[in-house]
Amino acid sequence: MHSVPRLTVDDYLERATNLPPAPRILPQLLVLLNQPNTESGRLVELISLDSGLTASVLRLCNSAYFGNVLPAGDLQEAVTRLGFRQVYQLVAAISGAAALAPALPGYGIEAGGLWQHSVTAAIAAQTLARQLRENETLVFTATLLHDLGKVVLASELESVEPRIRQQLDHGEISLLEAELQMLGVQHADTGARLLVRWQFPESMVMAVRCHHHPSEAQPHERLAACVYIGNLIACLIGQSYGFYSLAWRHKTEALKILDLQPDDLSRLMIKTVEQFEVIQALFQTSASARDSSWNRI
Amino acid sequence: MPSPSLSGFALRVVVDIADLAATNNQNAVLTTYSLGSCLGVAIYDPVVKVGALLHAMLPDSSINQSKAAAQPAMFIDTGIPALFRAAYEFQAQKHRLRICVAGGAQIMDSTGFFNIGKRNYEAIMAIFQAHGLRIHAEQVGGLSSRSMYLNVATGEVRLKVSGQQEECILCPG
Repeated sequence: MHSVPRLTVDDYLERATNLPPAPRILPQLLVLLNQPNTESGRLVELISLDSGLTASVLRLCNSAYFGNVLPAGDLQEAVTRLGFRQVYQLVAAISGAAALAPALPGYGIEAGGLWQHSVTAAIAAQTLARQLRENETLVFTATLLHDLGKVVLASELESVEPRIRQQLDHGEISLLEAELQMLGVQHADTGARLLVRWQFPESMVMAVRCHHHPSEAQPHERLAACVYIGNLIACLIGQSYGFYSLAWRHKTEALKILDLQPDDLSRLMIKTVEQFEVIQALFQTSASARDSSWNRI
Repeated sequence: MPSPSLSGFALRVVVDIADLAATNNQNAVLTTYSLGSCLGVAIYDPVVKVGALLHAMLPDSSINQSKAAAQPAMFIDTGIPALFRAAYEFQAQKHRLRICVAGGAQIMDSTGFFNIGKRNYEAIMAIFQAHGLRIHAEQVGGLSSRSMYLNVATGEVRLKVSGQQEECILCPG
């Protein structure tokens, strides 16, 4: 029996050498977007503080997918053309990509794998949120970052990877349970702790912490359930990477919380696949993120 | 990457989710990525050297019939007939076809509430049994996503299981 190292989530965060830079602007943008009557000037001002990010957003606005006949010359123009929420989505994607695009050998995930999964899950969850009149921006962001904890734990898992694989081979243990056995912590708690440090709202922290057990996220269980379903849809349509990436236990509570039937999930799979172009456009932000000054903050 | 053949470099033809392709181009490797609970179905006629590959997502088209009309490969019940018709157009014959199936993975679900991978497999078995068809080789279920490759020159079918370094041979051709 492997003895559990007596390390806490905070210990792992301190030890991690590959921690992504804090996307400081995202929590502030989320506050702005959730206030009634926010003026676009305030949003533009905030994003403009980072020139590299501004350049990346503009480049994406003018890319083939989002592009208009006349390119947007500045952020204000981009916000006018695409709208607040679309520009926010690009900013979130650029900052998410910086953290989630690299390879994570501890989980058997190649470069871009976790990012593709995260973007697909976020689009699926956002589609569901729109349908259920939940807060789309919050759902999108929480789902985009739901596996952030894997970035922290990946290097710790590298040394025990063969043992984890062996355990998962038998099909009796979930990846979350294997993490707990080997490290004493798991990725959902770890990601949530990092979001606390980055000053994300409590609802998002709870949704990420409970994305495998949404009923425990009260009073934010609907948000957590949306993240759960987004994650599920991405896995079912094959957008999950690494070894035994589907080794997690299904919780019917997620469907009960949102009052969904199996056929609703089938329909959501279809709607997500229909948005493949958006998913690809957001996936490409990982290239922009590499160029952004974000990495140097 | 597949090796170059004598007549030129192998041509990787990617079949997206909810899509299919058929060809007799001997340089082609029909390829589909990221089969989660979806099923990949490769059929091959070794006499005329024709291959076809389907990446179907859901068992039953009754959930969205207009979608099925526009994109029959999305569903097993409309995708399988479309796959066989596509191969017949290249003179493949039903009795010679070698059928390989992969995918149908699922998360750990003791309740069976939304066991879409299993339902996909049951749907395909029902169709094959009704038409007297047998699966030559299969790798279905499990907890990992897979990619599938059909080499049209040889009929070899390979799989790449997510998180594993090496491809494995499902059918040597």
